[in-house]
Amino acid sequence: MKTLAASPAISTSKFLPGFSAIILGLTVVLGLGFLQDANNYLHNAAHDGRHSAAFPCH
Amino acid sequence: MADFRKLVAVSLRAGLLGGLLLSVLQHYQTLPLILAAEQFETPSAEHVHDWQPMDGWQRNGFTLLFNGLTGFGFALLISASMYWRNQRGYLYGIGWGLAGYWVFYVAPSFGLPPELPGTDSAELHSRQTWWLFTAAATAIGLFGLVLTKQRLLQFGGAGLLALPHLIGAPHPEVAQALAPEALQQHFVVLTSINNAIFWLTLGAISGRLLRKVTFE
Repeated sequence: MKTLAASPAISTSKFLPGFSAIILGLTVVLGLGFLQDANNYLHNAAHDGRHSAAFPCH
Repeated sequence: MADFRKLVAVSLRAGLLGGLLLSVLQHYQTLPLILAAEQFETPSAEHVHDWQPMDGWQRNGFTLLFNGLTGFGFALLISASMYWRNQRGYLYGIGWGLAGYWVFYVAPSFGLPPELPGTDSAELHSRQTWWLFTAAATAIGLFGLVLTKQRLLQFGGAGLLALPHLIGAPHPEVAQALAPEALQQHFVVLTSINNAIFWLTLGAISGRLLRKVTFE
């Protein structure tokens, strides 16, 4: 029987796909927002996006 | 892992659409302010030789790419959360979008407001650390406060929400900005509105797209 109040625990089979999606999402976001490369290529390409997303930039 | 591929497919579409919308908003609203602020900067000798995208389509193209890819990343977080909680539909999506806006924009900006180029700040590494700590504490805190039923976890969550701001963001001893204060304030307001529109749209699209997906 389902109740509205009870939030179901994550089933074992759903853990891995969701967890992988979260790891991939965090990797993409943090890589683009935070990596500083020696030649500033990534920094300069991502510059306006970082400023406009309120990531610490300079 | 068929479900993982479905989450990626949903997030790609939502992220690219959300990123496109954000890029259009930024192009007409915040980019002119960034360009204006750069007029106050004098390029330092060491930076002159670094490659940077040319103003115009190249620079805008990289911003579009950045917004599309971060949109993809953020949409993955939204759709995975909804997947775990068996939610679908744009209303749930908007709820998760609101949470994302708070975690990744409102809470960090509370201590480190969005800055125009040429603003003096504390050392980059310490700001990045505080930003990441704040986003993590806010995400866990919101989870404890909103999605648990136990009093103790709810109190703990509220405490985590407050903690980064009690510690305080790193700031320089003497704050200085090259661009006029009015320009900076205008930038903060527009950035806050643009990111709110971006997050709510991203959540709504992700939720809507998830409705059409059947998971294993």
